[in-house]
Amino acid sequence: MTPENFFLLATLLFSIGLVGVVSRRNLFVVYMSIELMLSAINLVLATFSRLHNSMDGAVIVLLMIAVIAAEAALFLAMIVHLYRQRRSIDSDVYTALAQKKEHL
Amino acid sequence: MLENSIFVILALFLLLGSAGMVIFKQTLFSAISFMLAMLALAGMFALLENSFLFLAQIMVTVGAVVVLSMLVIVSINIQERNLPVENTKFQWIALSTLLVTPLAILIYKSLTHLHVSFEQSEPGYGSLKMMGATLFSEWVLPFEIVSILLLAAMVGAIVIGRKERHHDT
Repeated sequence: MTPENFFLLATLLFSIGLVGVVSRRNLFVVYMSIELMLSAINLVLATFSRLHNSMDGAVIVLLMIAVIAAEAALFLAMIVHLYRQRRSIDSDVYTALAQKKEHL
Repeated sequence: MLENSIFVILALFLLLGSAGMVIFKQTLFSAISFMLAMLALAGMFALLENSFLFLAQIMVTVGAVVVLSMLVIVSINIQERNLPVENTKFQWIALSTLLVTPLAILIYKSLTHLHVSFEQSEPGYGSLKMMGATLFSEWVLPFEIVSILLLAAMVGAIVIGRKERHHDT
């Protein structure tokens, strides 16, 4: 259990989250991948807090958890709103803000 | 020795949970594997001797965020035909993994460039008392800003989530 293990784990988590955001079209999976990337940052912050023997990093993690909760509330409300409009959770369906008109 | 084996088990759960979240087609299975990953992450915080973060992670992220998203997934009751058609899912995953790998190597190299190692933690590190002292002395302003952010998010979620009576476009 060295800091390198934790760094490797956080890097892998961040990469998996990024892969999920890029490659999936299910809105819920995109949302959970973003949360996973935030959690990877949390793990790095907690590791550095332990390395420096100071609680500052841990306090930042606590504030980040609150930000994650706020993000979850907004994102889920948005998904429900979008689902009511089109009856789909495919992110390719929602092109209302896109430039090309023929897609609609 | 015990710590090492706990770390390996938790890391396995963390990686399997997050990989399953990306791979599963059914949304609820994704959410369950995400919950597994978040629980394992709480265990990681406990291994890093941050007992309060362990509690906060379980209570807020697992108990509130993941359960809320599961509730939304169940309540909007997505039919099989409403799921996005992703025939080329694994090709996309392989391609994006290929693209993300250099970035991951860069992050890992820069993080391990520090050559640090864990030392014996100071007495009182990670305790609730020290957490509260740091939070309410040096981090009061961010704490208050986060409370305003939560209020704003709540109002925004209510405004976005309510039923629209007419389209005002």
